[in-house]
Amino acid sequence: MVNDDKKKVVVVAESGRGRVLPVTYELIGAAEEIGCLGSWPVQAVVLGDQAEKMAQEISRAAGWPVIAGVNRHLDAYNGELYKEILSRLLPELKPAFVCLAHTSRGWDYGPGLAVRLGAACITGVEKINRTDQGLSMTRSMFGGKITADVVSKAGTTVLTIQPGAFKARVSDHARRPQVEVRRFDVEPRSSKYLGMKKAKESDALLNQAEVVVAAGRGVGKPENLALIRRLAALFPKAAVAGSRPVCDAGWLEYKRQVGQTGATVSPRLYLACGISGASQHTMGMRDSGFIVAVSTDPNAAIFNLADVGIVEDLTTFIPILIAELEKA
Amino acid sequence: MKILVCLKQVIDRQTVIKIDESGRWVRAEGPARYWLNHYDEFAVEEAVRIKEAVPGARVEALTVGPERAAVVLERAVGMGADQGIHLTAEDEGYVSPLATASLIAAYVRNHPYDLILTGVMSEDQGHGQVGPLLAEMLALAWTTAVILTEVRPESSTVYVEREIEGGDREALELAWPALLAVQSGLNKPRYPSLSNLLRAKKREFETVSAGSLGPPAGREEILGLGYPQKSRNGLILEGTPRNKAVRLIEILRGKSLW
Repeated sequence: MVNDDKKKVVVVAESGRGRVLPVTYELIGAAEEIGCLGSWPVQAVVLGDQAEKMAQEISRAAGWPVIAGVNRHLDAYNGELYKEILSRLLPELKPAFVCLAHTSRGWDYGPGLAVRLGAACITGVEKINRTDQGLSMTRSMFGGKITADVVSKAGTTVLTIQPGAFKARVSDHARRPQVEVRRFDVEPRSSKYLGMKKAKESDALLNQAEVVVAAGRGVGKPENLALIRRLAALFPKAAVAGSRPVCDAGWLEYKRQVGQTGATVSPRLYLACGISGASQHTMGMRDSGFIVAVSTDPNAAIFNLADVGIVEDLTTFIPILIAELEKA
Repeated sequence: MKILVCLKQVIDRQTVIKIDESGRWVRAEGPARYWLNHYDEFAVEEAVRIKEAVPGARVEALTVGPERAAVVLERAVGMGADQGIHLTAEDEGYVSPLATASLIAAYVRNHPYDLILTGVMSEDQGHGQVGPLLAEMLALAWTTAVILTEVRPESSTVYVEREIEGGDREALELAWPALLAVQSGLNKPRYPSLSNLLRAKKREFETVSAGSLGPPAGREEILGLGYPQKSRNGLILEGTPRNKAVRLIEILRGKSLW
């Protein structure tokens, strides 16, 4: 990788309904880190029908120049328009790295954008390292059991940054915003946005619970959820949750799902039962106060973020734990 | 209506994997077992459901991989797909999603489809890239994390709902030809039927050597693999299940969690 000092690191902000979403500031944190390692200046782009206001907010918080890409159809996300507008806008910025969020948007348009830019694309980046061969990006594979350090062989690399992996960064002192407004008159051609459907309220109990007992694929069959419920019932302010496969199987309602497409919780105690620990789940619970994991698989990734790990079949262990708790 | 569903054979979840001698890929500890990528099962099921709802629709299943990967085509035919296409690649080890998408795109350019379905990601490499890359290479309408589809042949469109953060959904209408990367849980994948499986065993799949479709095209490579760092203590309790339960309760009590 050539360290070309004319190159930049560019963040594409995440926004929704005219507001800058918090993950944008994590992207800013990641981009600063990359900028530091490669001595590249950093800047941001935000797209929307009202992008100027958001651009000012980002510029003030980051202390960077920000381009507001305005398009009247972008009151909501449209992948086609994101790809089209960014592939027109980014080449003039000569990005070494383009940082998107690894979210339902970033993973939707990021890979296609990379093709248009002739760029490499590395998704789900959790860490950035300096190596002899340039910067390497750490991402997780095999359901969190393995991490890979990946290097780009292209002049431009599109990254999708795993939410929660980098510290959000806001500049210490507010600066005068530097905003450039650009208008793009493009229409979506093959896709039409038809509106948003709100999820059923995620269980209020889940967000307020001090103890969450969560079931994963390892519960094996729906009848075993009774054990999870009995265990949860022993703690005050406790709730039962699940990983995505348990909800996909119909054993728990989706409103009980913890993880990327579900709730993010940080109870005082999180008891993960039969959960493998893929990042799609752990990003929703890793900030819990104290984490206990029960799994038959000694290599399960969940043990890496557990305070206490128990390698047992949960159908053996939980009844014994319940009996001991009842005695105690 | 022609539908293509793209499949990947991956190492199954129960196989214990370790980093191999090269430090750049994994090996199985003990015999390696492979299965159809979990997310792709939902893609096959959805394709077959569309076929059942749209008279005259045809489903073809495609995979890129070594000889052993043909098993996933048998499974897809067992579930109701009409034909299997095997792009044979010798590579074992890391394969760039860009290389995989380039191969599929090279095939599809000569065999157009109205709808292409993929899983939202693979269980092994987990990039989630092949679907959206393929859409760009073939200039298709596309969306990802699809949790509901409704095909409308009269207007050559598909209504989809895609899942976004917090479980909310975006509703979209896409014009054919379109690519949908489907999220797990959008249906309940059926078991392959015995009669279909027997039919699949007898069938000759279309086989195309990946080498004939062009050179590999990855723009990234693996420098090295590692095991995830522990972010917490990860104290593993020893002893009988009862010992462990008693010890856990002591620890929880020490933390005022019990």
